[in-house]
Amino acid sequence: MRVLLAPLACAALAPASAFAVEYLNAEQAERLMFPDADAFVPHEIALDAAQLQQLDAAGVRARSARWKVLAAQHAGSTLGYVVVDEVVGKFELITYAVGLTADGAVKQVEVLAYRESHGQEIRLAAWRRQFVGKTASAPLRVGDDIANISGATLSCTHVTEGVRRIVAVVTAARRLGMLS
Amino acid sequence: MRRKRRESDAGPPEAAPLAPCCERGAVMMRRARVLLGTLVEVGAADAEAIAAAFAAIAHVQARMSVFEATSDIGRFHALPRGASIEVDAQTAAVLAAAADLHAQSDGAFDVALGSAGGGWRVRGCTLTRLDAAVRLDLGGIAKGHAVDRGIAALRSHGCRAGYVNAGGDLRVFGPLELPVVLRDEEGGGVRPFCRLSDGALATSHFAASSRSRLYRSERAVAAAAIARHVCVAAPTCLVADALTKVVAGTGRSDHPLVARHGAVAWLH
Repeated sequence: MRVLLAPLACAALAPASAFAVEYLNAEQAERLMFPDADAFVPHEIALDAAQLQQLDAAGVRARSARWKVLAAQHAGSTLGYVVVDEVVGKFELITYAVGLTADGAVKQVEVLAYRESHGQEIRLAAWRRQFVGKTASAPLRVGDDIANISGATLSCTHVTEGVRRIVAVVTAARRLGMLS
Repeated sequence: MRRKRRESDAGPPEAAPLAPCCERGAVMMRRARVLLGTLVEVGAADAEAIAAAFAAIAHVQARMSVFEATSDIGRFHALPRGASIEVDAQTAAVLAAAADLHAQSDGAFDVALGSAGGGWRVRGCTLTRLDAAVRLDLGGIAKGHAVDRGIAALRSHGCRAGYVNAGGDLRVFGPLELPVVLRDEEGGGVRPFCRLSDGALATSHFAASSRSRLYRSERAVAAAAIARHVCVAAPTCLVADALTKVVAGTGRSDHPLVARHGAVAWLH
């Protein structure tokens, strides 16, 4: 075990800086979840008020009426679906991808990116917008900066809720014939 | 004025400005999953090894989570007084380690969270409920153990270097020097803390708003007033994780157990 402490001047006294890790981009996650797919067909799902109400009644707040669902296909048949979403916590913004089987069950959840703000800017659209369209840096080369974050346990309840929401939205979209 | 300066400082976020790691050249991948109720990150050069590490951590969650009725802990809570169950060998090992730490720390570390210290017993893989009031929660030690199992999985897949970070409880091995930044629990953001090689580091934050709670013994309440943010570096993550509770509960970063386990502790 070897611990080299950061100089006090740059530890205790330093202003807190933001922190961001990008693990995978959406395309890499799609390939990881469905390596056999020869096509990913995008479907724009638009739920109307009645459909949103139905989800609400089932205990799922859909949050948005519009969702982008990718259908992973092989030789024309559907292998499953991928939905990319992001959730905002107290200070953190987490982008994640959910892979679902053809019958709508969760197959895999991959975290694509984690960004830690230092303050209330997490609530500002401008702060969040700077990440739109960013590509992943993974795979990293050792020797690049791979700082790790430590602290009180970060709660990932928002991601768990988000996965549940995506399952409900995809189930509803399949039932309504929006994904065929 | 202060707020404005903070916003303009925000800029595009970057990884913390620390010097690079020592082993140049090897292609490392880092992946993250949501496990143990937190973000678990694994870094290694081999995708299969990373998958095995996540599987090992998922096994710990399935067996030791207090939130899952089918886990060993969930099944224990369904037992009447005097009854026993057979538990996973890992659960038994973690419970045995917890019992040792409870004795060594004079009760400051307690997986029964003060509900009934002597209310359970583990012999081999047999876990017995001795008191109907006892509740077990491995939240203060199982995450560290899960990190250790993740590291073992990376090693058994032939990785020369790697790390596992379960929401702040982390361990690194091999010719790697991992820059570690500490999260500011009050205001967000991170500050550089250390560079870690061949060892583990666990951090706990004890405040009214935080998830980590000390059980409400008078001693813990008194100590909580001074112990807010605890970091412990130790050879294994199980020890580092558990010792954060001992240090916070006693308010002593020089608690004798810390040195006995080859660890170092900091109170912020």
